Amino acid sequence: MQTIEFSCPIIDRESINDQTVVLTLEAPVIAQTAYPGQFVNLASNQFLRRPIGIMNADSKKGSIQLGIRVSGEGTRFLAGQKKGDIVSLLGPLGRGFHLEGARRVITVGGGTGVFPLYFVQKVCQTRGLEGIAVCGYKSRKDSLLTDQYEALTCQTLFASETDDDMDFSGHAVAALADLLLKLKPVPETMILTCGPETMMASVAALAKKHGISCQVSLEERMACGIGVCLVCACKIKQGDEQESEYQRCCTEGPVFNAEVVEWQI
Amino acid sequence: MADLTVRVGNVQFANPVIAASGTFGFGREMRVFQDLSRIGGICSKGLTLLPRAGNATPRVAETASGMLNSVGLQNPGLQSFLANELSFMAALGCRIIINIAGNDHEEYLEMCRQLDATSIDAIELNLSCPNVREGCMLIGSNPQMIEKLVAAARQVTRKPLWAKLTPNVTSIADMARAAESGGADAVVLINTLLGMAIDRKLRRPLLRNNTGGLSGPAIKPIALRMVAETYRAIGIPIVGVGGIMDGNDVLEFMIAGAAAVEIGTASLVRPTACQDIIREIETIMELDGVSEVSQYTGTLALWNG
Repeated sequence: MQTIEFSCPIIDRESINDQTVVLTLEAPVIAQTAYPGQFVNLASNQFLRRPIGIMNADSKKGSIQLGIRVSGEGTRFLAGQKKGDIVSLLGPLGRGFHLEGARRVITVGGGTGVFPLYFVQKVCQTRGLEGIAVCGYKSRKDSLLTDQYEALTCQTLFASETDDDMDFSGHAVAALADLLLKLKPVPETMILTCGPETMMASVAALAKKHGISCQVSLEERMACGIGVCLVCACKIKQGDEQESEYQRCCTEGPVFNAEVVEWQI
Repeated sequence: MADLTVRVGNVQFANPVIAASGTFGFGREMRVFQDLSRIGGICSKGLTLLPRAGNATPRVAETASGMLNSVGLQNPGLQSFLANELSFMAALGCRIIINIAGNDHEEYLEMCRQLDATSIDAIELNLSCPNVREGCMLIGSNPQMIEKLVAAARQVTRKPLWAKLTPNVTSIADMARAAESGGADAVVLINTLLGMAIDRKLRRPLLRNNTGGLSGPAIKPIALRMVAETYRAIGIPIVGVGGIMDGNDVLEFMIAGAAAVEIGTASLVRPTACQDIIREIETIMELDGVSEVSQYTGTLALWNG
């Protein structure tokens, strides 16, 4: 039998800003098997668990990292956990990003979407793939993980919608458009994106225009996270002739090929 | 060694713990984490005659001690189930109950006919899903329609028939009596309570379906009261369901009158809830000095006067 539920001690807690923390948890089994784009489902003081994308996994240390932004009572509780506290989590869950066959990997993250994509760039570094990380924030004070991204071998492009003192002034999608015009094309390029749905839809459209394959990490309200309750349905295209069908964001996703996603915006 | 076996009509279960419809799929996902031959039974995701896409999202909203769902019976349809899932379920080694939901009377009967020739242990007539426009709760809130449907189903299948009842009625005991009159082998209660959650800023319901079914510990007191009331009204067995989270909850339902129980929402927050709960029951029985779990059923002594 496979163990799905783990009680994991928090071994480090770093405050990123007043709304966001990065928790490092001792989770050797999950650290061993998790790959970018997967998530864990954390118990809090609320009834349902909270699905959180895995930001980093270190199989040697047996630890994982999770970026948590406070958006309600459950995440407030989780973000308030201290070193030594134990949280129950299910994982690793879902289908993540597929990097097979890639030579260059461009990640486009919006807001907390930069967390799971950090894991992508970390793996790219390990595998010796060319990585380019586009990270978009509302403003400089909302920026997340800039130091951590800069410590990786990937090229970084930080975009702020309201400040002029980051790499790019404007939206992450505009930053990507600008980048794609300047970059010398490399075959086997992939664009991977995570963030608000409007942003991901625009990134997908831009990727298509440039003939670059694109994977998106969808978000739906979840309950079980393991594929039995069917609440996290997302509309997936089944080919030109057929109607779209609902698939489980937690099981068939959360990462899908952008081509098959029927955007809900 | 504690004797956990229970009977619901003619069907014997290794223990009183049955996974509730809609919280366990067809067992495929859950089998990875636990030995399903150890649990009493599995009730399938609700099946309809034709495939159903389900409702638009969001389909879930968290509430105090529970959740609302408005999945809307998303399922692959009976044909696909018979072709792709039934043999898998039949090999799991526990009792298999198939939950069916019709848009109308005739659809229920057609599904009963098709299931009659299979190896399943019982049919659960879903007379209670609150998230679809036709059938289900509309039938299940009218005693005449319940009796008529159960009686007609009785004519087309020899399988044990369980009527899963809705709490969204004035008197669930009346509905249970109607199911008994129609020839049901057992009643299952309660399905979810119809509820709503609101986003104050948007002034919109959180669920795209506007309303949904409330489940979880929030509804346990209501379910217990309804089981206790119904136990005094009918002679057929009751399968108790509604907010059960642990072994103690199971025994409370049995004391109120349940012969067996279904575990639903607990499995969504703790995938191994069913197997954990069975162990908890054994521990409590030892503490209580009870050797047969069926001895709990219907032992509630109400206060008089």
